[in-house]
Amino acid sequence: MPDGGERSVRWKGRPLDVRPGESLARALARARRPLLTRSIRYHRPRAPACGIGHCTSCLVRVEGRPNVRACRYEPENGERIETENGWPSTGFDLLALVDPIFPGGIDTLHGFRRPAFATPLFQRVVRRLAGFGALADGAPPDPTLAPELRTTDLLVIGGGRSARAFVEALGPRTPPPLLLERGRLDRPIPGAEVRERTTAVFLPRPASGGASFAVLAIEEGGGALQITARAVVVAVGGYDATLWFAGSDRPGVYPADGAEALGPSAGEPPFRRAVVVGGGDRVAALLGAWADRIEAVVGPGPVGPEVAKRASEAGVPIYPRTLLLEARGRRRVAAVRLAARGGGRRFTVACDAVVLAHRRLPNPQLLFQAGAAMEWRGGTGAYYPRLGPGLATTVPGLFAIGEAAGFEGAASTESGRALAAALTGATVPPLPDRVRAEGPSELAGYYAELVGSLPRRAKTIACACEDVLLRELAECHELGYRGIEVAKRYTGLGTGLYQGRYCVPEAILLLSAWEGRPPPEVGFITQRPPVVPAPLGALAGLARPEAE
Amino acid sequence: MSAPAKPRYRIVIVGGGIVGLFTSYHLAKAGAGPILVLERGFLSSGASGRNGGGVRQQWETRATIRLAREAVQEYRRFGREFGYNPWFRQGGYLFLAETRTEIARLHSVHETVRSEGLPSRELAPEEVREIAPAISPEGIVGGTFLDSDGTLYPFPVLWAVYEKARSLGVEVALGVEALGIVRDRGRVAGVATPSGTIGADVVVNAAGGWSAELSRRAGLPVENTPTRHEILATEPVKPCLDPMVIRLSDGLYVSQTMRGELVGGRSMPHAPGTEGGMSTSPEFLPSMARSLVRLIPRAASLGVLRAWSGYYDDTPDGLPVIGEDPRLPGFVHANGFGGHGFMLAPASTRRVAKAALGEAIDLDPGAFGPARFLDPDRRAVPEHLQPG
Repeated sequence: MPDGGERSVRWKGRPLDVRPGESLARALARARRPLLTRSIRYHRPRAPACGIGHCTSCLVRVEGRPNVRACRYEPENGERIETENGWPSTGFDLLALVDPIFPGGIDTLHGFRRPAFATPLFQRVVRRLAGFGALADGAPPDPTLAPELRTTDLLVIGGGRSARAFVEALGPRTPPPLLLERGRLDRPIPGAEVRERTTAVFLPRPASGGASFAVLAIEEGGGALQITARAVVVAVGGYDATLWFAGSDRPGVYPADGAEALGPSAGEPPFRRAVVVGGGDRVAALLGAWADRIEAVVGPGPVGPEVAKRASEAGVPIYPRTLLLEARGRRRVAAVRLAARGGGRRFTVACDAVVLAHRRLPNPQLLFQAGAAMEWRGGTGAYYPRLGPGLATTVPGLFAIGEAAGFEGAASTESGRALAAALTGATVPPLPDRVRAEGPSELAGYYAELVGSLPRRAKTIACACEDVLLRELAECHELGYRGIEVAKRYTGLGTGLYQGRYCVPEAILLLSAWEGRPPPEVGFITQRPPVVPAPLGALAGLARPEAE
Repeated sequence: MSAPAKPRYRIVIVGGGIVGLFTSYHLAKAGAGPILVLERGFLSSGASGRNGGGVRQQWETRATIRLAREAVQEYRRFGREFGYNPWFRQGGYLFLAETRTEIARLHSVHETVRSEGLPSRELAPEEVREIAPAISPEGIVGGTFLDSDGTLYPFPVLWAVYEKARSLGVEVALGVEALGIVRDRGRVAGVATPSGTIGADVVVNAAGGWSAELSRRAGLPVENTPTRHEILATEPVKPCLDPMVIRLSDGLYVSQTMRGELVGGRSMPHAPGTEGGMSTSPEFLPSMARSLVRLIPRAASLGVLRAWSGYYDDTPDGLPVIGEDPRLPGFVHANGFGGHGFMLAPASTRRVAKAALGEAIDLDPGAFGPARFLDPDRRAVPEHLQPG
């Protein structure tokens, strides 16, 4: 029996050791048993990618419970964990034949209409291809889960650097603010009551108002809290965006978050030789940490001086203003295909990973959900809250700081301190700089150019949850449908498990280029509650809203 | 925004949902141009893009059963005729009863449905389990089942009819609201929009939840009431539920889409009106979650991905309103579908198109015509089987 918090689980029937605080995905990487799953439509091979619980590439079945994210899950001793969507195994999946058989994709909009007698057969086959895991094996005797009821004056959602700066600057309070963190804190935050591995969802508020916020907090371990809060600080940070190219869903392609979270240990990356995409601070930091493992830097746009300097010191070649056309390989990336923009020659760089570090996006979901007015900022090409004095959103009692509010780097910390000053009645320092509001996003032009250059044989997956092809988005446009809301309904893009977190920001930019209008006119997808999957059992256990 | 190209049309249809678009298609096919459809939002922004996709033929009233039976035949053919696959999957509709009263009610529906030639079955609790093994048997005393009922995917139907109608010359103006109806010498003369008046001989009111408002703007008080309904979708899982399931006690309906999501709603005590927005009420998520885990306890660990709402256009007798308004020649109703507009659309809009052309229709005017609300002696036999 392992001691000191070490646990042993059954992974596909064989023992696997898991260290304290280690995710299942990391434990598998450490044991050199990479997790492979299969996508739902084409059964394409997938492996952990985002590392932060946003994507659908690492779903496993835990003790008969479907769709558990391996990158967030810290298993209990003795648990039985299986793969999903792979039969007889994820390495050799019979349904995986679906992908090569339909190189141009399965046209579920127009296809399978004839002959009439085959309709039930087509439907059985397509239903079989859909869905991730199967329904749970069993149900607890009482499937409703009564959440712990909590009331707080001040709720902080997120435990990154802006939240830490906020709590520290706020000083001691009785009772301390309640702070929810989705993952784990790298070190404690004194002065707050912290709940780690807890995801927050705003519940709809009664129309008659009421001054407080209702929040459902779902704990990784299976519990839940129903929180009534008088004021809420949203400090949910941001994430590294994806980039579209053929094979961008292939194992070995990581948003930079994933490269940090999915290695065999903290500080060690999940690859031997990576091509890194981007040209800003994030790439400079990666060069600082892992220069010996970086094969090349590819900038969709220009590459900044710091990146140029570090790359040159480490002897890493740089390809600025270059199209990333394709990630090739079988199970995993083996090479990337590149071309200089403006019709330059095509060339190949061998690598076993692609790290996407070209664009940080905010997590706007909770702010949309709480009804805060949002505005487009061209600097990153994303929506941020409209902020008044003292970091107040347009919803009374709701504040936003850090990356989610458009404060990057040192400004993130400053925004936390500024909010503490505003709330304690101290002199409010001038607000730090935010992400640039004006101007076009370079990526729109990049995508417009890329689409004409993509290889025809390989699939470019625009939405990895639902296996929507970029080609389908193009068809939707060519048929005259306009705007992201219609594109979503036409193609299914953004309707899967991660609710458009990765695909929708890209789609807005590309549609803006195609439709010849600014991104805000292409629209945004309404964030329909609960935004992050909230288990039916926890929702069923919610205390009823008080009678009006 | 797309502005209408002409100053006047023979027929202007207000509402670019499935009822409006399908009506325009039938009219264009009959050669009745020029035709304009006005949609104030984007395509699929109303109830046509917000419904659960159910298609059933089990009803209390014969008139509705006949319309639904025809719609089922149309949806079976739809993919071959329209170029888009609606994924109309005939997994049946399973009605569940938990009391003797509910059994008696289902029995009476069953008798009527059978007498219309449809092979509905009455089920004992064991047979319910065979058809839907994921359902908890607790409390269920019986049910009815019709295997030719089913579910479809609304979006391809909408795109298909939109594209077909346009290829036949129908113009669809998106983002244009009908502000009022222009009259001339006691009959319809046009539609007022923010960018001016569009001339029309006939206006069809296919505005769904906003139909009563449009009728009032035409000076015609009606008894239609918009009511907000909510719906949710869970994360997708492998096939676990074949039929659409309806439970009478709480008005729960749920089916599994082709993509694997469980999609459904239940009756909620919302006040009438369109003031509630398109989002989710505080009561819905917990109520619906309780209903759903009571039906399928193994779904308790499933995440709810999203919830949204839309508006039914209800009538006092639970039947749609189809036909020209006797108070205003040229003003044709195609509304009051009470959440069943999509499932009946292929059949009902054939009649709307005929009414718009002034032709006789083969529907009982007593059951569907607008005159039934104007004369207390002409009230219709109501349809009470509303959920799902």
